[in-house]
Amino acid sequence: MAKLWAIIKREYLERVRSKWFLIATFFGPIFFSAIIIVPAWLASKSKATTDVYNTTILDATSTGFGHRLAVNIAVDTTIPGRMPVVKVVAPSELTQAESLATREVMRKEKSGYLVVDQQTIAGESARYAGSNATSIADMTQIKSAIRQTILASRLQNVGLDDAKLKQITFIPLDFSTERITERGRAGSGMASVLFGFAIGFLLYLSIVIYGQTIMSGVLEEKTTRVAEVVMSSVPTDTLLAGKVLGVGAVGLTQQILWIATTYILLKLRTPIMAKIGAPAVNFSLPDITLGAGVLFLLFFLLGFIFYSSLYAAVGSSVNSESEARQAASPLMIMIVSTGVFIQPVLLNPTGTTARVLSLIPISSPIIMPIRMAVTGVPALEMAASLGFLVIGCVAALWLASRIYRVGLLMYGKRPTMKEMARWVSYAR
Amino acid sequence: MLPPRSYMTEYAIDIVNVTKRYADHTAVRDLALRVPTGSVYGLLGPNGAGKTTTIRMILNIIAPDSGKIHIFGRPSNDPKITERLGYLPEERGLYRKMQVRRVLKFLAELKGVRGKDADRRIDEWLERLSLKTPEKDWGLSKIDELSRGMQQKVQFIGTLLHDPDLVILDEPFSGLDPINSQALKDTVVELKKRGKTVIFSTHLMDNAERLCDSVCIIARGEKVLDGTVTSVKEEHGQRNVALALEGDGISGVAAILRDNALVKRADDSNRFFEIEMAPGADPQALLRRIVESGAAVQRFEMIQPSLHQIFLQKVGATGVEEGMTGHG
Repeated sequence: MAKLWAIIKREYLERVRSKWFLIATFFGPIFFSAIIIVPAWLASKSKATTDVYNTTILDATSTGFGHRLAVNIAVDTTIPGRMPVVKVVAPSELTQAESLATREVMRKEKSGYLVVDQQTIAGESARYAGSNATSIADMTQIKSAIRQTILASRLQNVGLDDAKLKQITFIPLDFSTERITERGRAGSGMASVLFGFAIGFLLYLSIVIYGQTIMSGVLEEKTTRVAEVVMSSVPTDTLLAGKVLGVGAVGLTQQILWIATTYILLKLRTPIMAKIGAPAVNFSLPDITLGAGVLFLLFFLLGFIFYSSLYAAVGSSVNSESEARQAASPLMIMIVSTGVFIQPVLLNPTGTTARVLSLIPISSPIIMPIRMAVTGVPALEMAASLGFLVIGCVAALWLASRIYRVGLLMYGKRPTMKEMARWVSYAR
Repeated sequence: MLPPRSYMTEYAIDIVNVTKRYADHTAVRDLALRVPTGSVYGLLGPNGAGKTTTIRMILNIIAPDSGKIHIFGRPSNDPKITERLGYLPEERGLYRKMQVRRVLKFLAELKGVRGKDADRRIDEWLERLSLKTPEKDWGLSKIDELSRGMQQKVQFIGTLLHDPDLVILDEPFSGLDPINSQALKDTVVELKKRGKTVIFSTHLMDNAERLCDSVCIIARGEKVLDGTVTSVKEEHGQRNVALALEGDGISGVAAILRDNALVKRADDSNRFFEIEMAPGADPQALLRRIVESGAAVQRFEMIQPSLHQIFLQKVGATGVEEGMTGHG
């Protein structure tokens, strides 16, 4: 046990001390916060822009409709510069006024102009032309302002006074979305998909990086023959176990640091973003229970054991980095093909693809946590997934340890698949 | 240093009829050898003869297919035994990016030496091999900041730090500079003085002849001969002649040495020859012929054959088995 501990300690401390670990640990949370915040920020831009205020209203109604509309577009008239300019024109002068307004838009002095006339008051039509005509949010806001103004005019016509009018028509609706799962409300839909994506990406990246770390570590021990010295002191299985556990502990440390700092960064996002002058982004963080967190780390650990033991086997069977890259390509294909499914699973987390992939040990360590983040997973499926993954890990470790103890002592040409199969059958 | 061991057996290593087969060849066949405790033992053989496989079986890195290996009277897979062994593999290296001290501490921990005790021993050894001086403590550097010679020193330390009773060195002299080579010889002698057993494999017969009490020559996975260096030489004590020449006239001598009636084999090192006389031939006749040829004889001496000669005679140039390296 003391010797296993010595191996775990060496693997852990040497890697945690390396500058790459520090860099990755520092930049990881910034990266992951960005993944979550930037799209949320972009989404918040789907609210109407300030372009709607920088417009001209060509009022050919001669009823003051344009002025009332301008107030409704501005919503809050106390903020300076939010009122569109209103030009009252006679219907006969409309063509000329429009061409004048068009030139203003072309010179970028205005973003657009709006024509209101008798047909608008009748609720039949209105026209807008401008550089932001394709902005759905802007157009929606102008349209609802027109509806509101027409409604107000009609209510006024039936004799409602101004105060009542304001009271009835003032509807500053802020429309937000929230997702509901079997377990109840789970934060905003957008944030939860992004969160799922971040988790999938995190696991994917960690397994690739730490798998390859183990592989080159094994290769270094083999080429320097340190492996032989260690093997003369401890059984090979102890060496393999020490490596997997040591590097696994490094991965786990990094995950926990990443998750903790990302969580803190996201909690403090409002003051941070205010500091850098970005507009506040409104979304609620998905509700992560302690149980879900433990399950997530469990999937990471098992997925890590599954892949890293296979990576160790590859590292032991080759003699150089370039051979290792080639020999590891089947593993890379397994991981990358899982990565390809991250998006489809996010879009349909309860579909057949998602459910099958979360049972196969090759893909379940990445796919299952994603599903957990975006939807509720039935307990039976969860248990089956974990069960198969544990079986997969045992099988991978068994296979790896047999290749490992022979491969570490074999120098010369890279073994064929057939030779490696024979190694597995060797007693020792 | 560790307290004295409670028991010492007559043989440090006792290998009984050990065989190790691989898919396409037999690396070691029915090998039996005994290494007396406290001796310096040479495992000699050409590349691919089975030396490394034998050493790995002694170290319990691989298990024999049949046969038994006992170390100090205990089975070689006894975990307690590994702490009494020190091993220096062939073509050595260490964790390149790791600090010297931490590497040594790690190796010590694997052998059951921990904490302050390990630190103290590391300091002693670093100072002893001039890796720690008042000006510079190389112990704090990373392995890859050290010169090749210094790295080799660190490897010696790693092998000997836990004060093993049995030190196993695989081709220890390959790649050593003359200074470290001498330091290694001194260390072997000192280990022997302290009652330790040293076994090393080599194909450099000169080193073996000078250092070893006993040797075993193996080829093609089988033992060719073994015993003390003296007895091996006596057993194979044909009449050998050492001949050294001065100046010109070497070409004339070469013709004489090709005379099969007189000379069975001559090992030609240009100015020095080790000559094995043909059966029944008279060394005095050979001397007369050489003097008559006009060559200036510097030395003409009846000698015991060198290990090198015995090796060549027993193993020949065909002793090297075609096979995978690393099974050597």
